[in-house]
Amino acid sequence: MDRVMRGINRFLREFKAIVKHPYFGYVFFGMMFLILLLLRNQGMVTISVINTAVIVMIYTVISLGFSLLLGFGGLASLGTAGFVGFGSFLMGYLHGVKDYSLGVTLLLSLCVALAIGLIVGFISLRIEGMYLAIITLGLGEILRQFFISYDIFTGGFSGRSFREFTIFGINFVSGDGRYFNMVYIIVVIMFVLAMIATINIIKSPTGRALLAMKNSDSAAQSMGISLIKYRLLAFILSTVFALLGGMLYIMHTKYSYAPQWNLSFSLEILAAVIVGGAQSIFGIAIGVFLIFGLKISVLNYIPFFQENPALIVIFNGALIILVVMFYPGGLIRLLQTLKYIVVKRFGQLKQKWRRYRYGEDD
Amino acid sequence: MAKMIDRQLLKLFIMLDERLTAKTLFYTQYQIYLLDTWGAIKQAQLQFLEAEHDKAVCHQAYRMNVHCDNLDQEIGERQKAIEEKFKWKLKALKQTLRRKNDRNPDQSNEHQTWFKAQEAQLLALKRKRLDRVVPTFHHKNDASDVSQETLRAIEAKEAAILTAKKEKIEARYQRKIESLNLRTEKKRERLTRLNQKIKGWIETIYQRHPKNDYDLGDDIILRLENLTMRFGGLVAVDQLSFEVKQGEIFGLIGPNGAGKTTVFNCITKFYRPAGGKMIFRKSPVDVIVLNDYPVHRIVRQGIIRTFQNVELVWELSVIDNLLVAAHSRFHTGFFGQLLHIPKLRHEEAVLRQKAMHILEHLGLQAYMHAIPYGLPYGILKRIELARTLMVDPKLIILDEPAAGLNDQETRELARIIRDIRDRHDVTIFLVEHDMGLVMDICDRVCAISFGKKIAIGTPKEIQANKAVRDAYLGEE
Repeated sequence: MDRVMRGINRFLREFKAIVKHPYFGYVFFGMMFLILLLLRNQGMVTISVINTAVIVMIYTVISLGFSLLLGFGGLASLGTAGFVGFGSFLMGYLHGVKDYSLGVTLLLSLCVALAIGLIVGFISLRIEGMYLAIITLGLGEILRQFFISYDIFTGGFSGRSFREFTIFGINFVSGDGRYFNMVYIIVVIMFVLAMIATINIIKSPTGRALLAMKNSDSAAQSMGISLIKYRLLAFILSTVFALLGGMLYIMHTKYSYAPQWNLSFSLEILAAVIVGGAQSIFGIAIGVFLIFGLKISVLNYIPFFQENPALIVIFNGALIILVVMFYPGGLIRLLQTLKYIVVKRFGQLKQKWRRYRYGEDD
Repeated sequence: MAKMIDRQLLKLFIMLDERLTAKTLFYTQYQIYLLDTWGAIKQAQLQFLEAEHDKAVCHQAYRMNVHCDNLDQEIGERQKAIEEKFKWKLKALKQTLRRKNDRNPDQSNEHQTWFKAQEAQLLALKRKRLDRVVPTFHHKNDASDVSQETLRAIEAKEAAILTAKKEKIEARYQRKIESLNLRTEKKRERLTRLNQKIKGWIETIYQRHPKNDYDLGDDIILRLENLTMRFGGLVAVDQLSFEVKQGEIFGLIGPNGAGKTTVFNCITKFYRPAGGKMIFRKSPVDVIVLNDYPVHRIVRQGIIRTFQNVELVWELSVIDNLLVAAHSRFHTGFFGQLLHIPKLRHEEAVLRQKAMHILEHLGLQAYMHAIPYGLPYGILKRIELARTLMVDPKLIILDEPAAGLNDQETRELARIIRDIRDRHDVTIFLVEHDMGLVMDICDRVCAISFGKKIAIGTPKEIQANKAVRDAYLGEE
């Protein structure tokens, strides 16, 4: 009996350690999304919910890269949209048109991300703050103009649609339901991997170096942190995440439209990171859901917003203003406050119950 | 041309040499860390075994009315828990009676009888529970045998089990330690062999172009030679030369705007000096010129500085701040960090332990996991000092350590600075406006004014110097 009890205790202790591990939360999150897909295939969930889930996951991957740059490195960038668009067109062209395999496409995209990150990173060495944001904005606009005018590659103003991509050697006919499921699973896997990679970077010397750099350049340098290295690294990472997001996006929608990758998209990513909490991974997912997901899944089905679509933008703006005014650390702070309130209220209720059950202390 | 290639090769070799030395050091540190942790775990296991053994023997002894202390204690605890539980139950019963009485006051007699019955039941249950505590502690093996022989037999049996288990644990740890030592030794040997090869290459280059040791005396750690720094037309530091001896506390003083902080910024390479040389003794045999190194490589040469206004990372806890300072001690590459490979975890464990020790020495263990934001200024200054110690420096440069501190905190700081110097075998070089502190702790002081040296010597000499008094108070 003793042995059994000891075994159970040990199991519980280890189970607790597993649950407390940060990876557990991310894998659990991914599993929930997979269950959503199962429910969809059983016909229990509408397609709009699934679409919201995919969009939230893809944009979270992009926002994670952005938060490494803004929340940790303290570097502002407004060129995200351009990089995402570049990723989508690159994937479409290399994989869809040129028929390179998925691995080669990924490798080439990584090289491109490296090149772009290096360029922006070197610019960031001389320019800081607002001016850096303007420069990256310019870069994003250049990319957008390039997409519009270079229409063999991108389809110009009318956008370019692709047929189903070949994934792991499987050719899909158009309208195949399996393709959607396959892409969904890939997106979930990349989403979980991106979160794990982010937490690994944050909890390692690199993440601490980025934070030190954000707080004070000179202190960081005096502790042996090379500004060149870590600024370049921050930009390269953010570009890699953005390109990856673009590739996942084109796999999901099979259509990319050059004017879509404009400043407004970059600002929405920025808003998602700020609203959710620039240094919290779950916070960013919440922010992305509020900025992008709420519109697709909820607001579009409310008659009032259907009649006045412009009000959706106003709703988003008001949300951002409210969050920045009352929760500058992001909505994740709100959750923490709520947790605190719940715990406090629970304690009060317990006290009340004790007084009812046992009477006043005497 | 050949000379240039040689110089580049030399740089490369020295970098490799440093890297290998650091790696060897890390393996040694990790070995010590593992031995420590394993020792602690083993001790805990042995203690647990002893306790189990005591209990097993006591079980039988208890049955024979021989009382054992540790078992008595446990029985007492269990009995107390039962008492407590029934106390609350009784309280609840009383409260129920009160409520019943409030609802129908005319049936109070019936309620009283009901209460009496319930109370009697509860008390009977409590007695039953209390009586059941002691028998659960009887030895599992025994029947109803209470003779001395049984006790002795059980004692002998348990002792044999204990010895066997202990031996097993000892053997396991012995095996583990041996394999660890073997592995570490192998790694160290390999690294040392490589290191010697590289050292040989460095030697051959030095034979071709002899090493310059710049006539730096053995007891001198830092020498500035005609250091000059200009900002546009303004000459902030003008032909400044002095020497800092090994193991002393050296103070640099001067009126506002004399260029003290500029000197610091030149030494740590935040500014590129317009002229002059800064020569630093990195190790007893190694002399380097600081002008050749970029700012983020200075800390690897053994120089670390603090800042006038505290520059901590406000989002990280105190211990993580110390790990930021140990950045140059991590040798895992970026992809290793991305995957959190075991090597990174080992490095982190070693450095975390080191950080804990340093915090304990400076009396900061209470703030170990606190966020520095909002801590008192004196504590923040001490955290900055703790941070400098993370990299085992040779020279610590303190920029106005006492700025913003009250008298008591300043006295405490002086004690800590002296303590650091004695314990860690470092040289301390500081700029300070608080003359009390400077005259109290400094072995030698250099006074500058408008970038020029006006006096150097012991605090007493400086106090008596007329030029210094003129610089501070103006000429008569």
